[in-house]
Amino acid sequence: MNGFLVRYRAVLLAYGAVVLLLLVTAAFSPGFLSAANIRATLVLAAFVGIVALGQTFVIIGAGIDLSIPWVLNTAAILMTMLCASENLPLLWVMPLMLALGGGIGLFNGVGVAYFGVPAIIMTLATNVMLQGLILVFTGGSPTPLAPDAIRFLAVGQLGPVPVIVVIWAVLGVAATVLLSKMSFGRHLYALGGNETVAEFSGVPTRRTKILTYVGSGMTAAFAGMLMTGYSGQAYLGMGDPYLFTSVAAAAIGGASILGGTGHYVGTVAGALVLTILTGLLPALNLSSGALQVVYGAVILITVALSSDGVSASWAALFGRRKTQGAK
Amino acid sequence: MSTSLRNYLLDKAPFLTACAMLVAILATYASLQRGVFSIDELNLVTGSAMTLILVATGQTIVILRGGIDLSVGGMVSLGTVIAATQFGTDPVNIVLWSSAILLLGFLIGAANGVMINYLQLQPFLVTLATWSVLSGVAMIILPTDGGSVPDWWIGFGYSEFLGLAGPVWMMIALIGFWFWFKSTRLGTTIRATGSSEKSAFLSGVSIMRVDIAAYGLSGFFAAAGALYLTTQTGGGSPIIGKDYILPSVAAAVIGGVSLFGGRGGLMGTVVGAFILILIGSLVFALRISSHWQPVLSGLILLVAVLTSSLTEKTAKGQAQ
Repeated sequence: MNGFLVRYRAVLLAYGAVVLLLLVTAAFSPGFLSAANIRATLVLAAFVGIVALGQTFVIIGAGIDLSIPWVLNTAAILMTMLCASENLPLLWVMPLMLALGGGIGLFNGVGVAYFGVPAIIMTLATNVMLQGLILVFTGGSPTPLAPDAIRFLAVGQLGPVPVIVVIWAVLGVAATVLLSKMSFGRHLYALGGNETVAEFSGVPTRRTKILTYVGSGMTAAFAGMLMTGYSGQAYLGMGDPYLFTSVAAAAIGGASILGGTGHYVGTVAGALVLTILTGLLPALNLSSGALQVVYGAVILITVALSSDGVSASWAALFGRRKTQGAK
Repeated sequence: MSTSLRNYLLDKAPFLTACAMLVAILATYASLQRGVFSIDELNLVTGSAMTLILVATGQTIVILRGGIDLSVGGMVSLGTVIAATQFGTDPVNIVLWSSAILLLGFLIGAANGVMINYLQLQPFLVTLATWSVLSGVAMIILPTDGGSVPDWWIGFGYSEFLGLAGPVWMMIALIGFWFWFKSTRLGTTIRATGSSEKSAFLSGVSIMRVDIAAYGLSGFFAAAGALYLTTQTGGGSPIIGKDYILPSVAAAVIGGVSLFGGRGGLMGTVVGAFILILIGSLVFALRISSHWQPVLSGLILLVAVLTSSLTEKTAKGQAQ
């Protein structure tokens, strides 16, 4: 039991933060816990959560994906252009966009795994190149409205539950099984923990690493397509906020940028924390500036609380007390 | 080829590649436009590159230490909004506030260093968080672009001494500072800690002091970049800083500074910054859509980092 607590301390802390935030929010704005508001919060959290799914896998493998904003944006723009507001083309456009996202991830992954390019630089270069190419391609002109089927996926409901929350749940279960029950998950944690050791123990490190970037490209592309259903259309810059939130959600959920730790279960809590905070601050009459300050503080506090350094300092404090007592 | 020359070239290959790319860009630019190799053009380009050069100077120091500083974006925004709201017109007041902004930059950077070191947190996450906090504070101080600085402050970019503009003299001073700094005890210690934290620690280096100095200097130079930026824009902006975060890393990496720490220097970063700025001029001279600028920057970044990682691999292969 103790081992469980230590191992999942970060995840538990993140869910503790969710509960605390819910209580605080409910105290300040009584309407917050209404079904409609909870639904709205969950829909927004689902977008963050789906984008952060790929990011979490990359981060567990000791990488980072900065190309998410424009992979997302590219998929969203191309999808609306190719579909021209019709539902039928989605049958081939959606798989095509997922393949495109995966292909961009493959490009990132090969650069990182085979050419030894630092992940920050590789994915940053991909991001700016995509941004330029899509601007050149569209010339900045607006694209058609999102097809109705996409609108249904983004804002529709199955009974009382938003469709996108169902999608998020399915993806979440798949990610959890992949991380906890499949050999891919074991390989990924081994890779993130210590690449050299993993390689000598027969883990296909390069393939595993590349797959995380492919996955991240696909979740970003998927989220981008769904987002057009939420906002009605694709627009330039729609992916930009998701670089920060995807990394922050993973970090709040306990994934270390150094790799080897973290779980998608924690990232889900991270996505909820970020989204509830966004909804809480207007209720408290706080500006978007204050929201940024709070975001930063929450990341620092949760990361600090779950870091090994802090537990080491606690241990050192208690250790000292013991020796002093012994004297 | 003798081994020592070969090793020297391998070590300098990323920097030399950057120089070659700069020459190629300048040659293309010069073939399209008159007066590229004139003092006026030097003054103009340096003027527009100076903010990036200043921010990237701090970033270079942190990367040499083996870290990364994303909070420079927040510091640049915060610096410009404080300057634009507090300067007024009284020169004494302006000098005091400028000093306060520089000091604030150093202190915030030092706080990053303390958190990273004492709590053993990852630089990427800590500075991501402080970036968010600083830009939030900047937004609270000045929600939208605005404020003002006096005309004579804006005149700095156009001021000339011996034919060279203020920013060019600033760059010369900065390079002079670097040649002094890199041979100081602190300069060598930061580089040594970036190469191998363990051996630096074992040889008696206080890693805490190194982190405070490296991140503190990064904050200081970001604040200096903010002050310079107000001479260009004439006001403050709570969001302008984010345009300098990743370009400052890119300038350093293009110039051959290794993200693994310990390798590279400011000369490379300055070359990298000029490459990034000149791509904009080149795209304009080529009369193609300005949107090609990020595409070219990304390609150059990839070429630079591939050279760097391939030479590092070759060097390692030789060592084994």
